[in-house]
Amino acid sequence: MLESLRRRLFGSRQGEPIVIVSGLPRSGTSMMMKMLEAGGVPILSDGVRSADVDNPKGYFELERIKDLEKETDKSYLREGRGKAVKAISFLIKDLPDDNDYRVIFMRRDLDEVLASQDKMIARLDQGDTSAEQEAMKEAYRNDIVRTRLLCKKRANFELIEVHYRVAIEDPAATARAVNAFLGGGFDEAAMREAVDASLYRNRSRAGGA
Amino acid sequence: MLRGNSIKVKIDRDLHDRLRKVADVAGYATAEEFITHVLEKEMLHFEDAGSDDDIRDRLKGLGYIS
Repeated sequence: MLESLRRRLFGSRQGEPIVIVSGLPRSGTSMMMKMLEAGGVPILSDGVRSADVDNPKGYFELERIKDLEKETDKSYLREGRGKAVKAISFLIKDLPDDNDYRVIFMRRDLDEVLASQDKMIARLDQGDTSAEQEAMKEAYRNDIVRTRLLCKKRANFELIEVHYRVAIEDPAATARAVNAFLGGGFDEAAMREAVDASLYRNRSRAGGA
Repeated sequence: MLRGNSIKVKIDRDLHDRLRKVADVAGYATAEEFITHVLEKEMLHFEDAGSDDDIRDRLKGLGYIS
């Protein structure tokens, strides 16, 4: 509480915040990275994982962040200050406290997430994933709640939730909300134009978020 | 009976009746003891990310963690 108040009154001593684009895999994180890039937000990515049929417009990933759970030296993340970095929600707990973070948390219907992940796993030849769908849904629900709790508890985190379906249906409103969350000054029209509704391929019938 | 530093939480009466019956059958001293146990167990899902091997295996398969 006091730390949060201090930050509001005097600003942070940790430089510009790192913009973390997070969420479950296949929840629209790459689309949001594309929006940010179009809007003029610098991106921290190494380009190792190149575009493919699952993400035709690219992944915008940083390979090293996949080791965030295991690595002890995380100082390389300071390079991301003032830039956008993609990190799935499972890794949020492992972000070091020597940075401030603005987390854009992508949300998507869990049935859609799992359907899209299953197709990707099949293409990557990572085995049969048809079993345990309910258990995975429950585990992912817990992951979402954990991420929200963690961002509330840690004074150096701020979070906005963006629903994938809403971003597709109303990219202008999404661009406006994200721009405001980041302090303004980015190109909302370009962010809006970066949304490609044709890539929304795994739709659930219920349409819930 | 709750002791020490506790607060009151309102829940639906019918649900409380069901909880009381299950608590009795399951051998809890009171419905409150049963409710506290269930809530503590449920909280672990949210507070203990390290135990989530299901997610870890799937994320490895998808190439999102090493």
